[in-house]
Order: sequence, then structure tokens, then C-alpha cells
Amino acid sequence: MTTTTPAHSAGPATTAGPVVSFQNVTKSYGQVRAVDGLSLELHPGETVALLGPNGAGKSSTLDLLLGLRPADSGEVRLFGGTAREAVAAGRVGAMLQSGGLMEEVSVRELVALGCSLHPRPHPVDEVLHRAGITEIASRMVNKLSGGQEQRVRFALATAGHNDLIVLDEPTTGMDVTARQAFWATMREQAAQGRTVLFATHYLEEADAIADRVLVLNKGRLLADGSAAEIKAKAGARRVAFDLDGTVDEQVLRALPALTAFERHGTTVKLQSSDADATVHAVYALGLYPRNLEVAGLGLEQAFIALTEAEEATR
Amino acid sequence: MNAGTYQLIKLEVIRALRNKKYLFFTVMYPAALFLMLGGTLSGTTKVMGTELTMPAFYMVAMASFGALTAVLVGNSERIAKEREKGWVRQLRLTALPGRGYVLAKTASAGVLSLPAILVVFGVAAAAKGVRFEVWQWFALTLAIWAGSLVFAALGVAIGYCASGDNVRPITMLLYFGLSILGGLWMPTAAFPQWLRNICEWLPTHAYAGLGQAIELGGAPHVKDVAILAGYFVLFTGAAAWLYRKDSLKA
Repeated sequence: MTTTTPAHSAGPATTAGPVVSFQNVTKSYGQVRAVDGLSLELHPGETVALLGPNGAGKSSTLDLLLGLRPADSGEVRLFGGTAREAVAAGRVGAMLQSGGLMEEVSVRELVALGCSLHPRPHPVDEVLHRAGITEIASRMVNKLSGGQEQRVRFALATAGHNDLIVLDEPTTGMDVTARQAFWATMREQAAQGRTVLFATHYLEEADAIADRVLVLNKGRLLADGSAAEIKAKAGARRVAFDLDGTVDEQVLRALPALTAFERHGTTVKLQSSDADATVHAVYALGLYPRNLEVAGLGLEQAFIALTEAEEATR
Repeated sequence: MNAGTYQLIKLEVIRALRNKKYLFFTVMYPAALFLMLGGTLSGTTKVMGTELTMPAFYMVAMASFGALTAVLVGNSERIAKEREKGWVRQLRLTALPGRGYVLAKTASAGVLSLPAILVVFGVAAAAKGVRFEVWQWFALTLAIWAGSLVFAALGVAIGYCASGDNVRPITMLLYFGLSILGGLWMPTAAFPQWLRNICEWLPTHAYAGLGQAIELGGAPHVKDVAILAGYFVLFTGAAAWLYRKDSLKA
């Protein structure tokens, strides 16, 4: 089988530009500003994680992206047009946390409906198989477990040839095996040149799956880069050592490239954006650290550090 | 109509038929109401100002009222519930046009209102000896059924205005108000003139008028048909617009 770039009928000059573009987008609910001056672009073929704690504005951002809600100000474009145009052309598939399922029908009936509503559908059996729900195809939708419901939602999101797949916390309710199987399927989709955007607060997922991570907090973009870059930006290394005697804490706090400092008795724990310079300066002070450890931060710590740094500046 | 819209209509009809409780209520309620309200009426008493017997009048009124109940209450409540569960959000992420959704909901309601009308007719003919010409039976069935689609569209629109908590009171208020003022329960001849002037423009009045014209041996009035057509366009337009605008968060 030869791989060809699918031809799109959604209009000219839509394949060259960004898949998604937000320009200074704002959305408030009453007093709460859910999305606050957000600007970003997603490019064809990227697998992007939208990472942030609960209430960071991830779901709101996806709602705006998909055209489920209008932005208060700013501009949201999908494939150079409106979200509705992209959805009507079958270029976007989405799996929402808040997306319910039709009841009183079987899994197969529902997935078949999803396929028939798609302008460029896959065969129903193929969609069922890929979502791992062939065995429960005859079961009624209202009799499913949470994890099974998620897989049906995934089937609906991948019922046709989409160019962009949007997933809001897709592995919620799945056990470890199901989660791994899910991401394996998602990687296949990405390998076929699809753009994948997923919101998550499972930090290991962003680290393991995405080739680009957007960190969102309070509706603002904190960081945009590869998982490695995010870690570097937040203070990439943890440095720990023991110090005998009395060393003035001010001296230690003045060490170069520090992003965090902790001292418990003789133990000193630092975070540094340039561990080499920090450790070098410790020796240059004439100190003799014992049990010196330098280790990389997980994305989780990087993320917490970024969030705290941002809050400190507000 | 595209294949997707057709599939949605098919599935909506299948779902409605699978829900036994909903089905039973919808199909049996109008006939039960006819027997309760019209059960003690004498077959020879004439309706004020007409040659029509009371049971015949009540049969047409209850068939109309019952069909209206089935589609209005059924649609608005089921849609409000579906919105709360987020199914409509998911559906809005498909290429389905807004009118496709309204069409599917209206059509599935219409499939249930037809047997409801026929059961009332059957009960009235068997239990109360109501008799009409053959063409009248067919014309009554068609007119009452087609008219019920106007209220199915209204049900879709209400399902979009109201949330799951307040959909029932809102529907009930509209439903009783429209039914009584439109003359579906009793002839509006008993109303004062000023009220009758207002009632004339209600969709329920035009709806009742369809059946009454046929049961008196004539064709439905053009004015009634025009009023109903106008309301149908209004309700479906509003429902499709509300479907697109809906931003209820689950």
C-alpha cells in the first residue's frame, strides 16, 4: 500500500498554514477568566500535549478551538477557516470529557451513526476494532463502564479520516493496560500524519507521548516547547548535598542559576537551571559538600516549578 | 437529505420504540383521556352551535391533544436530558447540520404520534359509536398527524431553552395554556369575545380547527393551515438556531 497525502475539499490553501491558530483569545465566565489572551499555533503532524492542573482552562480552550463556544475576543482559526467549517468538512475528530453518548442504542449502532455522519468515513468494523470495542459492539451504551464509554467516545472521534484529533483527558477511567493500548493507537494515528492535540494532567503522558508540550495555567500559556525544553526552562536539575559546620544561608542563596532552595539541618536541596555553574560555585566558595547528587527533574516537578514561578510574579 | 441525517432519524425512531414506558404513555394516554373525559357523555348531545355529537367532538379533540402531548412533552424532556448528558455536544462535533437534528427529533416524534391518534379513533368508534365517512377518517388522521409535527418542533425548541430541572414546569405551562386556549379541551364558543380574538392566532386553535373542519364535513380552512405552516417554520428555525448556539456545559 502506498502512502498518499489525502486531498482535501475544504478549500484552497488550507493545508499549508497552521492546523490551529489562536490569536489573543479571551473567554470569561462571569468573573472567572478561563482563557486569558491565549495565542498559539499547531502545525500539521504535531502531537501536542496541553498540560495543566484542573481549572487551568484546558477544557475551555478545547471548547473554543472546536467552536462549541464563542470567544469573547481574539480569533480562533482551524485550517484557516472557522471551527464549524472544519467540522462540517470532516477534518476534526474530538473526544470530550463532557461529551455524552446516545442512550438506548447499541455500541455498534452508535458507532455506525458516527461513521455515517462523517464526510470521509472509515468502515464501522475497522473503527470498532481500532477502539478495542468489537467484543462489546452489541452491548447497550447505557450499560457500559467508564473505561468502555471512553473507548466508544474514541471510536466516535476516529470514525473518519480526520486531519486533527482533539482529546480531552482521554485516558480518564482507563486502567493501565487500556491506557497503554490507547496511546499505542494514538501513536499510529500520529504516524499517519495526523495532528493530535490532547489535554492531560497526567504529566508522564505528556512526557511520553507528545513531541510538543503547552503548559497552561489560569488560562495563560506558561511554556511551549518539547518536554525536554520545558524541564530545562523550569530548572532542569536537582542538586543535593550535605554541609558540615555553619555556612551562612545568604551565601548559599546567592549561588548562580538557582530556581529553588531548601535547607534541613545539614542537608541542602537546590534546583538549578545550570547545575554545572551551581556546583562549580559551591566549590569556588571553598565549601566541601558531601554526598553530592545531581539529578534531572521529572516533568511533574518542572511543571510545579513553572506554575509557582508564574504565581510569584503575579 | 444526506445519509447521516437519515441514519440519525432511523436511530431516533428505533430508540423511541425501544423505550417501552415512553411508548406506552405516548400511545395509550390520549385514549385513556378520551375515555375519562368523554366516557359519561351521551352520544346524542350536540356540541353548541354545530351538528356534531359530543363524543365525536371529544374524539377529535383528544386525538389532537394526545398527539400534541406525545410529541411536545416527549421531545422537550428527552432533549433537555440529552443536553445535560452531553450527547448534543458530541453531536455538534459531527458534520450534522442543525436542521438535521431538528428533523430527526421531529420525525421520531411523528412516528409515535400516529399510533396514538389511531388508538383514540379505534376506542371512540368501538366504545362510543362514533361514525364518520371513510374519507373523513383518513383526512382526520392525516391532518391531526401532520399538525402534531408543529408541536414536535416546538418541543425541540423548548428542550433547548430549558434545563433538565425546569423543562417540565415550562412545558406543562405552555402545554395546558395552549391546549385550553386553543380549544382542544372544550369549544372556544364558551369564551368571551376578546379572548376568542386572541385564541384564534394560537397554533393549537388552528390545529383544533383542522380536525373540526373535517368532522363537520368540509376541508380545513386555509387560514388554519397557513397559521400552522408559519408556526412550523418559526419553531424549526428557532430549534435549529438554538441547537447551534447551545453552550450548556455538562
